[in-house]
Amino acid sequence: MLESVTLERRSGAGPVLNAASFVGALALGVALSLAVLVAAGVPTKALFEELVVQVFLSPAGLARTVTMATPMMFGALAAALCLRLKFWNIGIEGQLWLGAICATAVALYDIGGPLRLPLMMVAAMVGGALWILPSVLLKTWLGVSEVIVTLLMSNIAYLLLQHLLFGAFGDPTFNFPTSPVFDDAERLARFGWGDVNAGVALALVAVAVAALTLGATRFGFAARFVGDNPRAALALGFPALRVLLVSVLAGGAMAGLAGGVIVAGTEFRLTQAVGLNMTFNGIVIAALARNTPAWIPVWAVFIAGLNVAGASLKVFYGVSEGIVLVAQGVILLALVTGTFVTTYRVRFARRGLA
Amino acid sequence: MALRIGGASKSFSDHKVLDAVDFDLAAGEVHALLGENGAGKSTLMNILSGIYTADAGRIEIDGAPVSVSGPAAAVALGIGMVHQHFKLVQPFTGRENLHLAASGLPVVPPRATVDAQISELVIRSGLDVALDVPVARLSVAEQQRIEILKTLLLGARILVLDEPTAVLTDAEADGLLSLVRDLAAQGHAIIFITHKLREVISAGDRVSVLRRGRMVLANRAVEDVTRDDLSSAMIGGQDVAVTKRAGARSGADLLSVSGATVMDGGATFVSGANLTVRAGEIHGLAGVGGNGQRELAEAVLGMRPLADGRVVLEGHDLKAASVAARRGVGMRYIPADRSADALASNVTLADNLAATAVRTGALGRGLVWPGRIRAHAGSLIEAFGIAGASGGARRPVRLLSGGNAQKVILAREIDGDARLIIAHSPTRGLDVAACAYVHDRLIEAASRGAGVLLISEDLEEILALSDRISVISRGRIASTADGRPDRAQIGDLMLGHA
Repeated sequence: MLESVTLERRSGAGPVLNAASFVGALALGVALSLAVLVAAGVPTKALFEELVVQVFLSPAGLARTVTMATPMMFGALAAALCLRLKFWNIGIEGQLWLGAICATAVALYDIGGPLRLPLMMVAAMVGGALWILPSVLLKTWLGVSEVIVTLLMSNIAYLLLQHLLFGAFGDPTFNFPTSPVFDDAERLARFGWGDVNAGVALALVAVAVAALTLGATRFGFAARFVGDNPRAALALGFPALRVLLVSVLAGGAMAGLAGGVIVAGTEFRLTQAVGLNMTFNGIVIAALARNTPAWIPVWAVFIAGLNVAGASLKVFYGVSEGIVLVAQGVILLALVTGTFVTTYRVRFARRGLA
Repeated sequence: MALRIGGASKSFSDHKVLDAVDFDLAAGEVHALLGENGAGKSTLMNILSGIYTADAGRIEIDGAPVSVSGPAAAVALGIGMVHQHFKLVQPFTGRENLHLAASGLPVVPPRATVDAQISELVIRSGLDVALDVPVARLSVAEQQRIEILKTLLLGARILVLDEPTAVLTDAEADGLLSLVRDLAAQGHAIIFITHKLREVISAGDRVSVLRRGRMVLANRAVEDVTRDDLSSAMIGGQDVAVTKRAGARSGADLLSVSGATVMDGGATFVSGANLTVRAGEIHGLAGVGGNGQRELAEAVLGMRPLADGRVVLEGHDLKAASVAARRGVGMRYIPADRSADALASNVTLADNLAATAVRTGALGRGLVWPGRIRAHAGSLIEAFGIAGASGGARRPVRLLSGGNAQKVILAREIDGDARLIIAHSPTRGLDVAACAYVHDRLIEAASRGAGVLLISEDLEEILALSDRISVISRGRIASTADGRPDRAQIGDLMLGHA
């Protein structure tokens, strides 16, 4: 006879269950992912080398991973700062492109003299914040869904990016849609370790500021109430609207800074490929970090590692893009399922018994 | 007799909610049960449906003593309860809800049998309702019919309807009353809980009245009682036994609301309301719910704008002030709906307790360390005896019971700087012990010199606690010249007479 299954929401999982479900889910996800790769023709003995050594343990590999993780930390902050206020920022790429465009404009038009590089970063943040502004205004004034507005604003941003690359920002000496290469003074400092640059320091500072603000200031306290119950926040005298505006604009600024760090830290020019997939990666990292800034660097490195490994599998073993995405997706799905176990308890009740 | 309850008593902590209550019910009869909020009707019915266990007393069904050990036992004994708040799964159709209910039976019948039973029941009972539409799309009256079908499907012979007409329009209520008569004619025994005398007289065979846990009028034939008998039994005399305030002081005017008008979306909720609360006073604002109480409270606190009028607290003209500014001069708010307007349910207990102190900067102006918040919460948990917090102040506040959740709000709102406390239905949904606790805290605040504006639909609460009483009706506030209307005068004011 059929058994009936019920789900009960747990009143809160203990640290042991949390840790166990996380480790279990990660192990399961990695095992399934490895099985997929082996089935796709990657030699078993190469897996450790490709997925661990070349990504996290070798100096050059780790440098690639950290370089890729740098803008991802900003992208994840852009998602998390908004999500904490239940504001779904699905337009991280759009804000990123505006940030990249603004930083590039400062560089191309030689604005700011000796302060040009800091000015590029500030311009990137302003660009990102301005690009998210319409969505938060439309949401608070007219109740328009921010999901739609941020998403569509990304399309506009991409068209603007192309318009500039094929026109005002285009490199006249070159037929591809890219801007001219930046001068040395317009580039973030490198540490002599691969492409790792000062952007990673900026990202860690941003993470620390966000963690401190959310965890130990009155603003962060108010944000918890506004995010969970705006009416209660209002009745308690917290400035609900201001908290929402500041958080969302800060999120947009972080996305813009991601763009600024990419053009000034690794690309040294504006291209059409800047920051692709950042919306997806940012939201995934924020979800894995449960919108907690302190965990964002850890998960950004993890997700960047998956991407770096995927790139080399494609190049060296002819694994298709699709298989790489499946292998990555399996791990993410397993991790998300792990949080389900800590949230709900599954009960089986035999039918025929009261 | 189909059902006989003898000497049922029940206490929560030290408070006797039911005191040796007798009640009986015959097959084919509609027995109306009257009583004000908190009279003990729900407790009695919860004992009957197995949710509570009586401290003393016995229950007999068809002359045989039974033990209603739990809700499943009640169903097995043929007792069916239709709660005021329906227990239906909204996205499911009526039929799916009925199948769901049947799947809780000790032996689950096959689906086809259940379907056949449903069809037969619909024909026999005359409960005609669309069964294959999601419940969410049905009207309240239709949902109620599905609830009744559910109890019948589970084999109920004794039906308890808890204030079934409170949610219905007059026409729907008439339909329900004739349905109830039909069910009784088919041999069901029905307990019909209501506030409305008209319904007792039109649908009841016999009537009983509960007041403060005692049956003050028991098992009387409806023909033998008058409206006056029933209303005086329900409301009682002038003696008010609960916590009476001794030596209430009345100082200078603390809060003065004058000509307050509150509008929203073209509708006027409060019009030209005048009200003062003195230091050290509890000013009761009586009235039937939905007459502008919530809008007035929110306008005084600054959550919604005043279209006209003034709010002055101790000389501060607050007409244009923010909520934060009003709280800054000592205004506090205990809203009627705890989870919607006061608590952030997924935020920790510590944070919910600390909200006021954090906002004012009392726990640090620049950085507010979590450790300080938890220490602050710890002292309040102890001072206010917030139970269920043993799991730690770091757990979400939604895990607390209603009474403890209300203590969290009291602990947060009634602090040393509180000057005016707006308490809206502060005991709604609480058990008797928790009610007494809330009342004591409000009295304590007033005796420290704060003013309390007590907005309540519970007349007993208003009469017991208030130094002065006003009545709000359709957004207008009125009182007698001396500010102490008696029950009859309050009744007139509620109806907008006087």
